[in-house]
Amino acid sequence: MLLLAWHTFRDRWQVFAGAVLTVCLGVALVQSSLLALVAAATAPIPPGLSEEAALALSWAYDGAMTLLSLVLGLASFVAVFIVSSTFGFAVAQRRGELALLRMTGAGRGQVRRLLVGEAILLGFIGSVLGIAVGLPVLRLQVWLLDRFELAPPGFDVPWRPWILVVSIGSGVLIAVLGVLAASWRASRVRPLEALRDSGSASRVMTASRWTIGLVFLCGAAVLFALFPAGSAPQPVWFVQITPFLVSVPLIIGFSALAPLLVPLVGGLFGLVMRGRLGEFTVANLRSDARRSASTAAPIMVLVAFTASIGGTLVTMNEAARQEQSAAVDGDLVVTTADRDPGVSQVDGVTAVSAEAEIMFELRFTVYEDTWYEPRFGLVVDPEAYAQTHAVEVVEGDLADLTGPAVAVSPSEGTEREWRVGDVLPARLDGEDVEVRIAAVLAPTVAGPNFLLSPDLAPPEAGPWQHVVQLDSGADADVAAWRLSEFGEVATVEAWVDRAAAEKERLTRDLMIVLLGLTMLYTVIAIVNAVVIAASGRRREFAAARVTGLTRGQVVRSAVAESQAVVLIGLLLGGLAASASVLGVSIAIRNLIGLNVIEVPWPLLIALAAGTAVVVAVTSAVTAWSATRTPPIRLVGARE
Amino acid sequence: MNHTAPPPPAVRLDGVTRVYGAHGTAVRALDGVDLAFPAGSWTAVMGPSGSGKSTLLHCAAGLERVTSGQVWIGEEEITDASDDHLTRLRRTEVGFAFQAFNLIGALTAEQNVALPLRLAGRKPDRREVHRVLDAVGLAERRRHRPRELSGGQQQRVAIARAMVTRPAVLFADEPTGALDTKAAKDVLALMRSMVDDHGQSTVMVTHDPAAAASADRVVFLKDGRVIDTLDGPSTADVADRLARLEA
Repeated sequence: MLLLAWHTFRDRWQVFAGAVLTVCLGVALVQSSLLALVAAATAPIPPGLSEEAALALSWAYDGAMTLLSLVLGLASFVAVFIVSSTFGFAVAQRRGELALLRMTGAGRGQVRRLLVGEAILLGFIGSVLGIAVGLPVLRLQVWLLDRFELAPPGFDVPWRPWILVVSIGSGVLIAVLGVLAASWRASRVRPLEALRDSGSASRVMTASRWTIGLVFLCGAAVLFALFPAGSAPQPVWFVQITPFLVSVPLIIGFSALAPLLVPLVGGLFGLVMRGRLGEFTVANLRSDARRSASTAAPIMVLVAFTASIGGTLVTMNEAARQEQSAAVDGDLVVTTADRDPGVSQVDGVTAVSAEAEIMFELRFTVYEDTWYEPRFGLVVDPEAYAQTHAVEVVEGDLADLTGPAVAVSPSEGTEREWRVGDVLPARLDGEDVEVRIAAVLAPTVAGPNFLLSPDLAPPEAGPWQHVVQLDSGADADVAAWRLSEFGEVATVEAWVDRAAAEKERLTRDLMIVLLGLTMLYTVIAIVNAVVIAASGRRREFAAARVTGLTRGQVVRSAVAESQAVVLIGLLLGGLAASASVLGVSIAIRNLIGLNVIEVPWPLLIALAAGTAVVVAVTSAVTAWSATRTPPIRLVGARE
Repeated sequence: MNHTAPPPPAVRLDGVTRVYGAHGTAVRALDGVDLAFPAGSWTAVMGPSGSGKSTLLHCAAGLERVTSGQVWIGEEEITDASDDHLTRLRRTEVGFAFQAFNLIGALTAEQNVALPLRLAGRKPDRREVHRVLDAVGLAERRRHRPRELSGGQQQRVAIARAMVTRPAVLFADEPTGALDTKAAKDVLALMRSMVDDHGQSTVMVTHDPAAAASADRVVFLKDGRVIDTLDGPSTADVADRLARLEA
């Protein structure tokens, strides 16, 4: 059987090359992310560093680890999705050939073994290539992390021999998993189908497609209702992973149900595209709903992830900006090195709140294990802070924020169980201290999550931000001019916007590192799917030309059809992403009571236009080359 | 032909009916067909388009299930045979040749011919494969791929592939349909010699009177029923009956 697999492989190399390419790049990407993650997790802290520097370094590695886990998770999901969709598609394209084997005496088991044998072969070739391609991919990934300062400088990712086994094993495994369902379906092919001209006239919406589609849609709905839309406020980090929670099951469900959407979009296109060519295009689109849906699948993944992760991040940023601008009740912000340079003495100033951000560590003990986790807090004077900020105290009293005390905004995870009066073991400025919780504040997206008593401020704390409230009659420009002798002065709006802009930059960097390579992979998968789809259409194109279409008309029709497929991908991907962003919006409202929803339109429009162009060009080129042979030689021929 | 007791027919259909579609739009492609295809001889099935001749072939070969009635190949009933049973049957008892030659493009002539043996889990005997290819006159071209062969040659490879397992019955559906006159003649002569020299039971569907005239017997079908048979036909007889049938 493996011999036959080898021969079919040699003969249909275009389709198989596409399958190998998806495995190769998928393995390269997963391998690179895995190596980087392992390197971040096991990175040694060089001896001789000061305690503070060592702490900052290990903290930076922790951050890189979190990011790389997401990168790895995303890359693995996308690789499995793309490979299985490509392999399933390639099998579906070969129904006629498989029916012929059945006619010649192949049993169901033999067809399955043939396809699995092929998958092992392709998976193996793809993995070996992927191991090699993974090296430059890793260099690029590390360069990106370094370039955006998302990993400590000098972050080094060593090659590890065991990755060979992991890469080949996982490459072969995902290839085999990819054909398993398809091979089961293919083994049910009836020998008689070999005699029908269009072997692909089989039913597209199989029971398994319905089941997978509906189960995953229901799963997504349940997760959506339980978590982002549930009544309990979710921690901020959890809100941020909504795309993985909601969009991923939706992507799987939609890709199973996508053939249902094909006639709908076909009808829509029919309204726009009139005339003979339009009719022909729409008919082609609908006649092979599976082909259309399979080509749309990688487009959907690209759009769904970019839009849902991008939309989530910008929505959270916007929520933080709005929250902060509503919370600060002041006019100007002065930044100084000293804690009390005498800002309150300036004419027209009615209130000043001096604030400085400091890092401290919380000590956690579980059984015998003790470890420290860094946290950021704002050292404030409770009275002045309350005067210049809208503070919502849930429990306790902010005025108690004296001595070794903190006020907590339960936004992340562990803090949520804390109560007023609890004592937290902590480390500040290298010394162990016990801090008392003086007040529990309302949750926040923008931060700060901890307010620290002024007595906890280490001597070297700073720079200090002084939020200044002016007398209602005072001239802000004059006051700003007077305050500028202490330090840099900004209006509160400008200050909030600057913080938001800084966050936006960070968001952009994160998205490039998180999505960049994986989305590049989906773009290649899109091109690949278009090529595979066209490979089985030479006879169909030839028949159209014999019927009277010119070569140009055939190519134009193929391009128009490809745009309908892009539209399907955009619609489904957009839907999967909308659910995520909507979930995030609801979760934010539950958390801080703000109604915020932001869509990164420029990014999405560029993405949609880019995809449309890539698909149009690919399908024009493939249709042009598929019509190179004079049609009459293909219409009668059959291999 | 001289034999004492008549051997069982190669294929037998008892009251076979095949209905396509549901109630309102049901089409009776076969309507109570009783037929026995004698062993060691060549029967042609003719009829106008839509008469059910292809359906008859598919049902007789176990490629399609019958709605009612019974189908026998040799002494085995295959009416409700399982897929495994039918697969085994395709490996040993029946061979197929179709209008579209249905060779596997990736494999050479030799490999195509050896395929049924491989699928049956037997190690193909090279000499046996060569002998069969030689019998169809293609020993020289055994290393060629289908696309490097002419239509007539491809059909002869397909017949060689059908014959390599020494099937009890050869089913052929318009085997000359896609061939020019000369190639068609060669293929018919080949099939004739297999019947005469090896007693190959053959069932062939065709609409070409010249092809049908090569057979020992012609069965005429119309609207899913057998309406006539003709023994030792000539091309003129067949054409004449067919013309009357279609009138």
